[in-house]
Amino acid sequence: MASESLAAFVSERLPELWFRTGEHLMLTGSSSGVAMLIGIPLGMLLYRKRWLRNPAMGTISILQTIPSLAMLAFLLALLHKIGALPAIIALTLYALLPIVRNTLTGLEGVSAQVMEAAKGIGMTEGQQLRMVRIPLAAPVIVAGIRTAVVVGVGIATLSAFIGAGGLGQFINRGLALSNTRLILLGAIPAALLALLLDFTIGAFLWGVAPERKRKGGSAQNFLRAAALGMPVLLVITGILAYFSNPYAQSRRISADDLNARTVVIGTKNFTEQLILGELMAQMIEARTSLKVERRFNLGGTMICHGALLSGEIDLYAEYTGTGQTAILKEPVIADPEAALRHVRNVYAERFKISWLKPFGFNNTYAITVRKDQAKTLGWNKISDLKKNQKGIRAGFTAEFAERPDGYPGLSRAYNLRFNEIKDLEPSMMYKAIAGGEVDVICAFSTDGRIANYQLKPLDDDRKFFPPYQAVPIIRGRCLQENAELGDVLSSLGDVLDNDAMQRLNFEVDGEGLSPAEVARAFLKSSGLI
Amino acid sequence: MIQLKQVSKSFDEGCSYAVKDLSLRVNTGETLVLLGSSGCGKTTTTLKMINRLIEPTEGRIEVGGEDIMKQDPVVLRRRIGYVFQGIGLFPHMTVEQNVGLVPRISGEPIEKRNANAHQLLEMVGLHPETFANRFPAELSGGQQQRVGVARALAADPDYLLMDEPFGALDALSRELLQQELLDLKRKLEKTIVFVTHDIFEALLLSDRIAILHQGRLEQVGTKKDILSAPATPFVKDLFSKPARQLADFQEMT
Repeated sequence: MASESLAAFVSERLPELWFRTGEHLMLTGSSSGVAMLIGIPLGMLLYRKRWLRNPAMGTISILQTIPSLAMLAFLLALLHKIGALPAIIALTLYALLPIVRNTLTGLEGVSAQVMEAAKGIGMTEGQQLRMVRIPLAAPVIVAGIRTAVVVGVGIATLSAFIGAGGLGQFINRGLALSNTRLILLGAIPAALLALLLDFTIGAFLWGVAPERKRKGGSAQNFLRAAALGMPVLLVITGILAYFSNPYAQSRRISADDLNARTVVIGTKNFTEQLILGELMAQMIEARTSLKVERRFNLGGTMICHGALLSGEIDLYAEYTGTGQTAILKEPVIADPEAALRHVRNVYAERFKISWLKPFGFNNTYAITVRKDQAKTLGWNKISDLKKNQKGIRAGFTAEFAERPDGYPGLSRAYNLRFNEIKDLEPSMMYKAIAGGEVDVICAFSTDGRIANYQLKPLDDDRKFFPPYQAVPIIRGRCLQENAELGDVLSSLGDVLDNDAMQRLNFEVDGEGLSPAEVARAFLKSSGLI
Repeated sequence: MIQLKQVSKSFDEGCSYAVKDLSLRVNTGETLVLLGSSGCGKTTTTLKMINRLIEPTEGRIEVGGEDIMKQDPVVLRRRIGYVFQGIGLFPHMTVEQNVGLVPRISGEPIEKRNANAHQLLEMVGLHPETFANRFPAELSGGQQQRVGVARALAADPDYLLMDEPFGALDALSRELLQQELLDLKRKLEKTIVFVTHDIFEALLLSDRIAILHQGRLEQVGTKKDILSAPATPFVKDLFSKPARQLADFQEMT
């Protein structure tokens, strides 16, 4: 890791941190707001309509059990949109349970004796609800909102997977680059934000307690005003953070740029994708007048593909084998030329998406083991694993464990059945095999860490893995409107072989440089910019 | 005047009756005490039927000559002050707000309500400067019940229903409040129905007493009538018990 001091690391990212915090507040705030607008009236309705309670509470509880990423992926499929909208909808759905439940519990919990008194002195139904039942239930309702907000701050970190930004962006990037500092740069402010929001709502609750309405000393009045003002202050801070800082302004399209056309580039969430994304972005910025918007670190193939189809992004780098098996759901074509020809034709016809010129390397899956263990047990090719399969623990990415060109197919092709399969996040996978916690992983053949961690890719002797040539793919519409893009991106064709890509990946993963720096240095040294 | 004509109440569709065939008249300006045998709530049921917190199964109740079933219950209740068993104050409102509540829900302006509330607090022996801005939880049981009485009087109703208002108080505050209620009664000339299970309280506060046993009326009359001529063995037994206890007490001292 680069020996950048912590202070420099943080201060360099301060404007973005400020901006992401604003985004995070916006995501949490708007979803909690919508959840309150829906949840409190719904809780009141359920209080009145007893027969509705079980079906409604059941539905809301089931929503709560849906894993956050599944929910995001599902909303993405439903709305055909990435970004803030699906994230806010998902967060709203999660916030409903505590708010509705506490509204109902609070309204039910008001003592029958007090309610009889309200009725007995001649209050109408509406007055009973407005003047007695709701005020007495309010502390419980606010407690529900408090729970929803605090939990919401946590879940909102996942919104970065579908390009909604927020502090999760740092966590995501940190995970993709196995950079602990980046992960903490997102996680610590998120935790502090949760505490701050919790404290703010607590203070507000203190401020509106009936005892505080009594005239007190000036100190008490000041405290009360401060307590009531805090939520307002926080909202204003969020808006300021979101709209008025250098980072946001550098991102936002200024008046001059309004006429400039914008190309949106996406990437999946691992190092190589980030480098390819930067290569394409910097080429376009250097050689055309187009503006580039980076929507990097999207959470996987399906999300990138969905975003490209819906026009949320204009281009990203896809791999031939992935397109064919994961998107088109077709069997493998072993010949690289034929495979590319095939996906190019089918994508053009079915999705109006063009596959441009390949970058030149083939990032296929590589079943990889530790060098020393391979030596002792005599492993050179994948079929060698068969004799030891009973004792082998495998660590695969979730995608590999499920994809037809991943473990299910591999297991059939080699008749292999490992003793134990662990789902691991890509950067964890390398740490796990280096630490001896697993014996086999599904590395990418261009990954710089293979050499760095003393690992050995095994030979695919039955030619199971399809070719995975990396290729920029672009929406046909975007290419038509900006014909220069085709030429610019084609000049990136065949500039990277497997060794070169492995080296660039290692510069990020091993040496701690940023993908942007690595991409810039490469383009310069190759004379491309 | 409040009139109950052959009123019955069953909570289980006629299997059993909490109140059965009860006919009673409460004259204008009179205090009628409903004396129940035990705290099983049957006497309270009778009281709650008068302002329609509970609706009678059979019979007819008139307040001021009008059938209550033909009146809007909200309007009816605002015309009748009610002092609740236990406390019945609203914990999230100050004393002043509690007292001004009935005028408030009927739409009176706040200045008038507050002035009125202060006057009423004065009347029930609570200094407004000290108590107006306190919350019920900051008052003793006796003070809370004074606020309850002030609240019931706030809209200046002709009728007052009091459901064992002093039942939960210690003996000393109870006696003090009973005395004050006697004063108020003389001053305000309200028609009052007062529920209690305490014979001495009934004797002290009543113009007339109605003795209820198992939902039926045993006897109604002035204390003199009842003491000199108990109508049933139950009434006789009920009133001879305190005399016996008094004798025992004198023996001990």
